[in-house]
Amino acid sequence: MKRRIRTVIGSKNCDDPVIDYKETEYLEKFLTPQGQILSRRRTGFCTQCQKQLKTAIKRARHVGLLPFVG
Amino acid sequence: MTQIYETMVLLDNDVVRADWKKAKAIVTDTVAKYDGKVHTCRRWDERRLSYPMKRKNRATYYLTYHEMPGDTISGFLRDLELNERVLRYMMLKVEECPEEERKLAAEEEGSDYEVPAPPEDDAIELPEEGEGDATMDDVPTDVPAEAAATAVEPAKEG
Repeated sequence: MKRRIRTVIGSKNCDDPVIDYKETEYLEKFLTPQGQILSRRRTGFCTQCQKQLKTAIKRARHVGLLPFVG
Repeated sequence: MTQIYETMVLLDNDVVRADWKKAKAIVTDTVAKYDGKVHTCRRWDERRLSYPMKRKNRATYYLTYHEMPGDTISGFLRDLELNERVLRYMMLKVEECPEEERKLAAEEEGSDYEVPAPPEDDAIELPEEGEGDATMDDVPTDVPAEAAATAVEPAKEG
């Protein structure tokens, strides 16, 4: 039987402004303790919002605001 | 054709604490050198880095919005890359400079602005390059000379 993951973290409307890489406290919610980006299934984001999230996290990692690992 | 850019530059804290104006000039002068026009520039924050960069654990984040002709971008980025005081940079295209940024930058422009004091955990830094390497001076003096020589001798192949 397939296990259902009920924990959905995201709460973003697609009309909201683009996710900014400087909002590190917000972005940290979408990372695992190992620093991986959560899947769309876990975040509850639509495709476009998940893509924004991915870009913002990768930018934040580049400037050292978020870790690549751990 | 000019385009507005948002550039985040990570500056070495040693320069920032020695002279804030000199640290600001690293970015603003480079923008001016390549026919750019600075809209706003301000100290965004001073933070512990998530991972060390150029053997530094902390850096000052300097955020600037500027416009620049497209054909000078490569030279601008090259200058930032070659500057030893710039730990890292990121340049993004934006449609306009946010109004909030203008207000915050105007507050910082005042003559009475002082860079906030570093936090208590600021002193923790990585050792300088070569500090941890073993040298002949590290060999204890009470060890016989022959034993000391073999201790630092590299292992022979085969």
